[in-house]
Amino acid sequence: MEPLDEDAKLMLRYRDGDAAAFSALYFRHKGPLYRYLLRQVRNAGIAADLFQDVWWRLVATRGRYEARAKFATYLYRIAHNCTMDFFRRASRLHRNAAADDSDAPSPEPEVPESQRPDVIAEFAEQHSALLAAVSALPQEQREAFLLHEETGLTIEEIARVTDVGVETAKSRLRYAVRKLKKSLLPTAFPDARPVRALNAST
Amino acid sequence: MHPPDDLDEYLRGDSALSCQYRRESAPTPPPALDRRVLEMSRAAGDSAAPHDSHTPRNLRATSAPRPCLAPLAFAASVLTSVALVLAIVFGPQSVKRVDDAPRVVRVVAHAELPRPYTNNSKAARPPSAWLADIAALRRAGRNREADEELRRFRSAYPTYPVYPAYSAAIRP
Repeated sequence: MEPLDEDAKLMLRYRDGDAAAFSALYFRHKGPLYRYLLRQVRNAGIAADLFQDVWWRLVATRGRYEARAKFATYLYRIAHNCTMDFFRRASRLHRNAAADDSDAPSPEPEVPESQRPDVIAEFAEQHSALLAAVSALPQEQREAFLLHEETGLTIEEIARVTDVGVETAKSRLRYAVRKLKKSLLPTAFPDARPVRALNAST
Repeated sequence: MHPPDDLDEYLRGDSALSCQYRRESAPTPPPALDRRVLEMSRAAGDSAAPHDSHTPRNLRATSAPRPCLAPLAFAASVLTSVALVLAIVFGPQSVKRVDDAPRVVRVVAHAELPRPYTNNSKAARPPSAWLADIAALRRAGRNREADEELRRFRSAYPTYPVYPAYSAAIRP
């Protein structure tokens, strides 16, 4: 039996009524969780709302918590579900809006606002070449990379959080790493437009 | 085929990519957001006791029904059972009619539209989903439904802090 990690012990204490344990957990995880959400949805307002939502779900379900695995996998599983809910909702609303506007058919396939290339580029241009390249990754690859960098989750844990097979998680991370390594090369994008260059190559 | 060293080198943790990522800016939640989350957890702690199976023994003992009510509860159950049996045995017998056959009822599904929330759905739906649906109603010009949903949301979650990004979208 694997020994409990420190966070799991804190969560068990919180489950059993120790409010101070929640504060300790919160301050340990708030930074990485916030960056995971921010870099996933690329909008500070939405990230803040999802951030609240993740902690709200953790609080609401604390009575059912059992320390079966590392606490981070539990927390980021909630975060993954919140993010996926958001992406699904955004796509659905966008489809509805497009259907309502049936008199003016769009010449291109519609994508949710947060995934539009101009929105991504605008977000990315506020950051370095590397963060711009992270922002331009396909969502699944971006998530795998962020989970590993921000939380130190292993490939097996990333697979568990994102509910895919280990090979799929490994492949996503491999593609992400390969693309991001290109963004570190100073001569890879002489026009200094890494986002568009990466978009064109995917 | 993938080059064998790409991922392996990265997973060792000391790759140039990881080093560069750690050197980048590391935004953290604004202090107002910290306060909101911590207040929310405190409010949840004040309003609801932990799950029953994890409630300390001394708390469970105080919330158990008092023993003097037990005979009364037993008598009420017996009376209800007797009344039910009498109603079944001596009550009016219904005659099965020809048109009692099951009917086909057509239901039009509006899966894509936000559904109104009922009281018992609040536990199953997170507040942010609810707020997003209110914003969608508002954008669609269905202001009366949006007002009604907002009123229900406020009565279901009186202490839930609405982040400014949503405030503009859900209000008239």
